[in-house]
Amino acid sequence: MSTLYVPASEDELAELVSRAAGTGERFAIRGGATRGAIGGRAEGSELTTTGLSGITLYEPAEMVIAARAGTPLAEVEAALADKGQMLPFEPMDHRGLLGTEGTPTIGALAAANISGPRRVAAGSARDHLIGIRMVNGRGEIIKSGGRVTKNVTGLDLVKLNAGACGTLGVLTEVTFKVLPRPQSAVTLAARGLAPEGALTALADALATPFEVSAAAYIEAADAEPSMTLVRIEGFSESCAYRSERLSELLAHHGAFAPVGDEEGAKNWRRVGNARDFAAPNCAAVLRVHVAPSKAPSILELAQRLEARVMADWGGGLIWLGLGADASVEAAMAGIAERGGHPMVVRCAADTDWPLIGPGRAVAELGKRVKAAFDPQALFNPGVLAGYL
Amino acid sequence: MQTQFSAAQLADSQTRESEKILRSCVHCGFCTATCPTYLLEGDERDSPRGRIYLIKDMLENDKPASKEVVTHIDRCLSCLSCMTTCPSGVNYMHLVDHARSHIEKTYRRPWHDRLLRRVLAAILPYPSRFRAALTLGRLGRPLAPLLGRVPGGDRLKAMVSLVPVGGLPRVGAEPAQQGSCTRRVAILGGCAQKVLDPEINAATRRVLARLGVGVVPVPDEGCCGALVHHMGQEDKALVFARRNIDAWWPLIEDGLEAIIITASGCGTTIKDYGFMLREDPAYREKAARVSALARDITEYLDGLDLPEGRGDTLVVAYHSACSMQHGQQIRDEPKRLLQRAGYAVRDVPEGHICCGSAGTYNILQPGFASRLRDRKVANIERTKPDVIATGNIGCMTQIGSGTDIPIVHTIALIDWAMGGPVPNGLERIAP
Amino acid sequence: MTHIQFPIPDMTITDRREEIIAALAGVVPEECLIVATDQMRAFETDALTAYRRMPLAVVLPRSTEEVSAVMACCHAAGVNVVPRGAGTSLAGGAIPQEDAVVIGVSKLNRVLDFDRKSRTITVETGITNVAVSAAVAPEGFFYAPDPSSQLACTIGGNIGMNSGGAHCLKYGVTSNNVLGVKVVLNDGTIIDLGGDAMDVPGLNLLGLLIGSEGQLGIVTEATLRIIPTAEGARPVLFGFDSSEEAGACVAAIIAAGIVPVAMEFMDRPAIEICEAFAKAGYPLDVEAMLIIEVEGSDAEVDASLARIIAIAEAHGVRVIKQSRSALETAQIWKGRKSAFGATGRVADYICMDGTIPTGQLPFVLKRLGEIVAGYGLRVANVFHAGDGNLHPLILFDANDPEDQARAEAAGNDILKLCVEVGGCLTGEHGVGIEKRDLMGFQFTKADLDQQLRVRAAFDPDWRLNPAKVFPLEGRLI
Repeated sequence: MSTLYVPASEDELAELVSRAAGTGERFAIRGGATRGAIGGRAEGSELTTTGLSGITLYEPAEMVIAARAGTPLAEVEAALADKGQMLPFEPMDHRGLLGTEGTPTIGALAAANISGPRRVAAGSARDHLIGIRMVNGRGEIIKSGGRVTKNVTGLDLVKLNAGACGTLGVLTEVTFKVLPRPQSAVTLAARGLAPEGALTALADALATPFEVSAAAYIEAADAEPSMTLVRIEGFSESCAYRSERLSELLAHHGAFAPVGDEEGAKNWRRVGNARDFAAPNCAAVLRVHVAPSKAPSILELAQRLEARVMADWGGGLIWLGLGADASVEAAMAGIAERGGHPMVVRCAADTDWPLIGPGRAVAELGKRVKAAFDPQALFNPGVLAGYL
Repeated sequence: MQTQFSAAQLADSQTRESEKILRSCVHCGFCTATCPTYLLEGDERDSPRGRIYLIKDMLENDKPASKEVVTHIDRCLSCLSCMTTCPSGVNYMHLVDHARSHIEKTYRRPWHDRLLRRVLAAILPYPSRFRAALTLGRLGRPLAPLLGRVPGGDRLKAMVSLVPVGGLPRVGAEPAQQGSCTRRVAILGGCAQKVLDPEINAATRRVLARLGVGVVPVPDEGCCGALVHHMGQEDKALVFARRNIDAWWPLIEDGLEAIIITASGCGTTIKDYGFMLREDPAYREKAARVSALARDITEYLDGLDLPEGRGDTLVVAYHSACSMQHGQQIRDEPKRLLQRAGYAVRDVPEGHICCGSAGTYNILQPGFASRLRDRKVANIERTKPDVIATGNIGCMTQIGSGTDIPIVHTIALIDWAMGGPVPNGLERIAP
Repeated sequence: MTHIQFPIPDMTITDRREEIIAALAGVVPEECLIVATDQMRAFETDALTAYRRMPLAVVLPRSTEEVSAVMACCHAAGVNVVPRGAGTSLAGGAIPQEDAVVIGVSKLNRVLDFDRKSRTITVETGITNVAVSAAVAPEGFFYAPDPSSQLACTIGGNIGMNSGGAHCLKYGVTSNNVLGVKVVLNDGTIIDLGGDAMDVPGLNLLGLLIGSEGQLGIVTEATLRIIPTAEGARPVLFGFDSSEEAGACVAAIIAAGIVPVAMEFMDRPAIEICEAFAKAGYPLDVEAMLIIEVEGSDAEVDASLARIIAIAEAHGVRVIKQSRSALETAQIWKGRKSAFGATGRVADYICMDGTIPTGQLPFVLKRLGEIVAGYGLRVANVFHAGDGNLHPLILFDANDPEDQARAEAAGNDILKLCVEVGGCLTGEHGVGIEKRDLMGFQFTKADLDQQLRVRAAFDPDWRLNPAKVFPLEGRLI
């Protein structure tokens, strides 16, 4: 467990893996290790991609950027900002929530499919990942996708690896489609809405043609009333028009008024990074992916469990913070019963990482797919266990 | 697409024509989406592309038509929706006509099918026989339930159910023909429409008279030939066509401006006379001239200056007959006229899909026809109209058999707006 | 001479045809089973008509359960299966083989559920692409991927090929717009992948399935993301004297931070062909034309177009034409979307689908013209300029075998060129049989073997859509 590998090149990594195929050594793969053990704790020698660093291609006019997997996210974002562009999916930073340190990497972002508030409109990290290079469990260097957005040549191993959390191989280089950074943003906020009404307001906002780029609900806490937030982005005159129309349309739900730019940005960081759920506020944290129409029943369950909640993606993503007395497994079962897909983000140190598998037939397939990449199960044993 | 015809096969003009059509098809499949039978069945054999392929196979290999191929060609309504959709300009109409005549020559239908087709061909084109048949039909109505039990009985049942319940409608006053008109047109009297609703042409004459257009009587014309043509009886169709051409020719030489048609099904066929008789040296040119002069009544009126209507805002669902919108590509003219006359015109959802009438289709394919009728009626009723307007007698009978909303010919509404009598069936809702 | 080889039909299967048909007849009613040669003719090819094969039988099931029963039946008999949607593939993705049963989803065409709050619709996969948009239009939504064949192509086919379209510049391709599917695996097992939520955790087999060209399973139901219809949309037509100017204009628009809904390119031959059919008012005296569409309120559209027009003017645009009505807009798109079919009025064609980095546009267009001219053929170019997805239409005479061989050779050279400049063989049509033998140009053996192992995880005996996508030697694995 004390071994730490930091390969300095793709070839070196491939060789390391080839050797392991003979020795049975296992690897726990890391980027900047800011995400703790989401998806399950991996056993094995630590292997980090931070030695594979640097932007390899950036063509602003083609809206495409490629970087080696260990490249710090901040470096990629700075390069993009310099040309007025951005990663469209507004990736979450887990450090506040999990109390981790280190530097998030672009590769881990792809491997774990990490998105933030803009996901609801612009799509996820997976949606924007268009190419990967990786080393599979046989020590082979594989590529899939490429640098062009429209590409259906062969099986889409890119989408498969996005969110596979390194269980199929070690990503060595990733290519993302990017977008121009919007000229301006307007955040509308309504205070004091009840959960059910807030969710309906968010659904209504997202059903308008005004291109809402984010829609979230933060429940009332302490002396603070609840906050229902929607965001509009684009050219400033268009933002002004659309936000005005939107607050008119939502008026029957409550008073949606613009907040200052700085406060707006702060709120979206709060939503996107789920900082409110950090210890010691919550003993365990779940993220629940759910159809927004089923979100009210999840919120109602949360209330029963006396859990702290926040909804992002117009109700499509719900954060649940459980107290020390609540059973994580019971909460997960309740969520699944209501059509939600729960995932543990943090739990007490002495708890196993519970996971609800996808059913036998799909799990069987998952196992065979895993074996197609990593026949000896060298990578991240224990991660996504129920799916593989 | 690729074709495999021998030089000998291509010596035949009809085959040559079909080869040209097949070559222009790129098999893109767009046509499947707008084909009524594919919509119902989701089976490519019942789609234009599938039929084109079945026809291609049959013609290339000089095969007699098989029972299966006949089934799928018979199910084609000839609505020609596919031709509107086709980006490659495939003339499906001429190809399926060729296939139908090939079927007629090479396939022996079951006796009851042959009999029915013979009966239809012997009655429908002849107004006096048709009138007598309708009387019999009304008498036969109580027998309808029994008909389901004999071979092909479902078709007899369908036929009887299409007979108008309340007898034939009355006809409004005919206008006194104005003295000397500078514009002179002929109106196709035709066959079935004359019997089922003589009021349509009466209204047409009244409208034209008000506009100062003289209508020349044509004693010897009759059925345009469409009914038999669609049953693959090509020779018979040509006999009808030649007879009509002969009837019109002296008038054409005398400066006839147009041949006005008030049933779009007939219009499509008359506009195709030029093609149908292309191999007949005696008629080739005359036929082309007749086709060039043929005009749907709405097409003709659209070029004239009609008075603006009062704006009674009676809600009219306009049902575009397939022969109108696909066969003749006349889409906006009728709606423009109705709007100008003061009606609130509604487009019908899925307006490009056939109502199932399609000549004798509703008798020969009662199953498909009634499913299409119900679908059409549901779409029409969705627009909540006071009245349905259309430009083809077949559609009027077909749709009328499935809804209580009155259905009238477009020209009857125009005539009414210009001071004519209340159209048949609208007495109750007339403002 | 057509150059693409089909495997030799397995006689041990074709010899058992009667027995297999009898087994199929045991699981679907007569009207869903097509076995007469005359009848199966309609299914012997798709939109790549140069290649045709008669199937062993055709089955058109009416439910997921029937699809499952048929798949299980074929699996038990060891028979290959060729899935089919509407048969509009330009890559031969739905072409049958003599020893294979075609399973078509065209009878599965119902809308199952509309969830306004979640902005999703659940449909059976035989429904056409355009029918999905039509179903949600009254509620103010649409389904974004819009392949040119959207009128006819099915959602099942779209999922199989990961279809794109003109408007995916802004809204993404099929895989960005599907949340979940119901799939029948090769042994008849029915599974659900993804679901009704965004980014369902776990291994993303859904993303793998989309674009797998019917090699992993038959999708019978899908939950799709739908998008609110914009307040308005308006295209502008730009005419240029050279393709280079048009290409530079596209790059400059993106560099200015504007992502239009669509940016389409047509060269002179393509403009002429489409205008003759659609009468859309395309300028006929220019070498290159761009159709650029933006969305929003009238004022927003005006503002965006003003920005875009200013850029075009700086790049030597000669003709500028804004659509003035919904009818004109419809005509403009009808012309573009009918480009392939309308080409049929002029000649037979094969349609290439390579994607290139947009910076390479001027170079590739020039080389492409040289390649086609080198074979003594003509080409018409239509493509999605915003994302570099080319559609050169190589014109030839299908009744002249040598002409066809030349057209195919020219096509291969063009696709190799696309890969050489950093692009790929196919952007949205799929590999099918057409580009199968070129896969080695884009992928190493290790890349391909990895894909083949993944494929085999679903279907070890390669019973589903065999001899497509991967080079034939892939069967050995």
